[in-house]
Amino acid sequence: MIGLFRVLFHIFSYLVLIYFLLLNGFYLLFMVLSFFGISRYRHRTEYIRLEELFLSPLAKPISIIAPAHNEENSIVENVRNLLSLEYPKYEVIVVNDGSKDSTLEKLIEAFSLRKTQWVFRKVVDHKPVRGIYICPANPKLIVVDKVNGKKADAMNAGLNIAHYPLFCAVDSDCLIDRDCLLKVVRPFLEDPERTAGVGGIVRLINGCTVKSGQITKISLPQNILARFQILEYFRAFLGGRIGMSLIKSILIISGAFGVFRKDLVLKCGGYRPASIGEDLDLVIRLRKYLHDHKMPYALHFLPDPICWTEVPETLGALGRQRNRWHRGLIEAFMYNRRMIFNPRYGVTGLFAMPFYLIFELFGPLIELVGYAIFILCLFLNLVNYPFAITFFLLSVALGTLLSVAALLLEEFSLRRFPRTSDVLLMALFCILENIFYRQYLAFVRGKAFIDFLHGKKEWGAMDKKGFSEEIPCP
Amino acid sequence: MNRLVIFIRFSVYILILFALLILLYIVLRRVYQRVKDKRFRRRYLRIEGELLNALSTPGPASAVRLAENYKKYPNVLTKLLLDYAKVLSGPEKERLKIVYRIALEKKSLKDLTSMRMIRRLRATRLLGFFIDPLEMDSMIKLLEDKPIVRLAAVQAISQLPTTETLPLVFKAFEADSCPNIHSYINVIFSLGGRAEVHIREALKKPISYEKIALLIELVGAIPIRSLYPDILPFAGCPEKEIRIKTARALGGLRIPDSVPVLIRLASDDAWEVQAQAVKSLGKLKSPEALDTLATSFFSKNWYVRFNARSGLMNLGEAGVKRLEVIAHQTTDAYAAAMAAMALHDLNLSCEQMNP
Repeated sequence: MIGLFRVLFHIFSYLVLIYFLLLNGFYLLFMVLSFFGISRYRHRTEYIRLEELFLSPLAKPISIIAPAHNEENSIVENVRNLLSLEYPKYEVIVVNDGSKDSTLEKLIEAFSLRKTQWVFRKVVDHKPVRGIYICPANPKLIVVDKVNGKKADAMNAGLNIAHYPLFCAVDSDCLIDRDCLLKVVRPFLEDPERTAGVGGIVRLINGCTVKSGQITKISLPQNILARFQILEYFRAFLGGRIGMSLIKSILIISGAFGVFRKDLVLKCGGYRPASIGEDLDLVIRLRKYLHDHKMPYALHFLPDPICWTEVPETLGALGRQRNRWHRGLIEAFMYNRRMIFNPRYGVTGLFAMPFYLIFELFGPLIELVGYAIFILCLFLNLVNYPFAITFFLLSVALGTLLSVAALLLEEFSLRRFPRTSDVLLMALFCILENIFYRQYLAFVRGKAFIDFLHGKKEWGAMDKKGFSEEIPCP
Repeated sequence: MNRLVIFIRFSVYILILFALLILLYIVLRRVYQRVKDKRFRRRYLRIEGELLNALSTPGPASAVRLAENYKKYPNVLTKLLLDYAKVLSGPEKERLKIVYRIALEKKSLKDLTSMRMIRRLRATRLLGFFIDPLEMDSMIKLLEDKPIVRLAAVQAISQLPTTETLPLVFKAFEADSCPNIHSYINVIFSLGGRAEVHIREALKKPISYEKIALLIELVGAIPIRSLYPDILPFAGCPEKEIRIKTARALGGLRIPDSVPVLIRLASDDAWEVQAQAVKSLGKLKSPEALDTLATSFFSKNWYVRFNARSGLMNLGEAGVKRLEVIAHQTTDAYAAAMAAMALHDLNLSCEQMNP
């Protein structure tokens, strides 16, 4: 019996090694692609002058839709940020998704909102609207008060009320750069027929200084968990998504910031109200719709438009967030399972979805099974210590290399950490994240499978601190 | 297994070494960049001070002296000239031209044929501000370059809108691929009424419908009212996109004669054309359009209804009366609610004006 187990363990070790090398090989490939992508983008933007885009008679108006649920600490500051963007014509639709705190009251007070008798067409379904408020002093602002659904439900309400052909989905707890819309709308102007959606980089606001709704100083947060997440965001956005978008395989345009063509999103049914990972689900369904209708399309990811978000600083909140993200991933893949390995959906069906399925969705499970088998082998005294230690060192070295490469990409990006000491500190965190942080994330993501099977639909609240004027966020 | 372990161990060393090298590169690059930026900024501020002095001193002598003194720093001068050329005009810009001619012209013309695209691009941008009709030949050659350089060249050429240069801009527009059209549109838009003859000619040529549609849209956006008879035939074009743009342009031109055409387009088969025509009718504020706008309020399409609502709101007392009628009818509850909402909004606007 022990002999059979030894053989199985041997085979498993090789399989894990191959899986591990493939995974990191892909990540390295994406990093290299991203490097070229960022360089190319920088060259192009050298010529583009944003003021020309601002004056362009063809700049399409945009509806910004910001769902808000219990955001009383930051909502006023964030709406001010959204109202101060540089763009010729846009509207801001804040959807108060049944907040239990004073989110709506704060908005009414800060912007002197007036309730209207607006009617709107209900193209996509959502929970009942209790009232629509407008700001007489600033007609750009519309506030929708509705019964609590989920973020997707609130987005649908916003979509029904939006007037303009493009819409920008933003989280109401995010700050976006003032010229962000001008940059993100460029692909829609250059290739209006094919461009279906454009995403931008999301970075951490923790540690940065905010003044008048804009980031004035970028620095590292004090919180260790937030520092680990900085590396993760760099790897995901600067490395993964830019690289994947270059091979037309992008499956996520972050819910925190993304611009889409409204007509296409409405045609594919808007957001799925029940979805937990509404951003991923929307992009997959959009790809499915466009493939099914044989419409040529492009989804872009730009390395420059920047949205700043606050990330969890406690293990509990981080665990809940990642658990929800993973449940969203599982749910989106279950819902769109017919697309996986389906040649009808081109690169989406044959590469992007299988890649996400094997390396992102099952990744934590495989990692957890690896840990479990290793512990079992420890008890059975079957561990080949030289191999185990070397393999662990290899995983740390590869993980560190990927993170350092992400730091290099950050170096080439347009908004970098100004202090070299911050970069060196981050390099230290590249090594440290391999101990405990990575295992913790694998655990909460692995637990998402059990939660998904139990039908858990909880969002997982996170205590937001908000952004006070000129005070660095913790 | 042992050989594998040795191989993996060796790989670990390589990976660590590679990670360290990247880190070292980041640190060295930062140090180099900081020193470079500091030096650049110091020089920029020094030259800027002298440039401001030269701009406020009568006569070209100080500009000549500045150019002679600082031509050894072409990058700093280029940045400075680009920054100032954007905001200056008249005699001050002439002084900048002097600095350019003495210190940078030779290099810029050489850079136009450089292997490095970024140099060609920078030179083209600079020439865009200081172009001389005699240099037009080298600029025209760039119309065969990569799209991004070609656009910069078109932009530069449009800075000297003469009877020789404008046809070149339009020729490039007609020949270029679709993804770059919007940049040409910006250039053509900035030409304003001077583009009239060339737009008229382009509309008669067999170019793609996307380009025709954009030119029509430009006619309304600039607006060039004298091109009204030229765009009118496109209202009957089988291509939906062209009909949409025609309806939009007619709204932009605001010529009362176009009301019957827009009324016809308001009953087009495509809802997009209907919506645009109704919107344009609203802009024209013509009483003739009252019935069409009221009928459109009951359209199956929300956009058409929404534009009809805005149109009726624009029509003053007659529009308000018609909105009241719609608000009180019972056959279409949705239209009634929408009209009530419009009346409510008008009420809010009045309150704003007379608080």
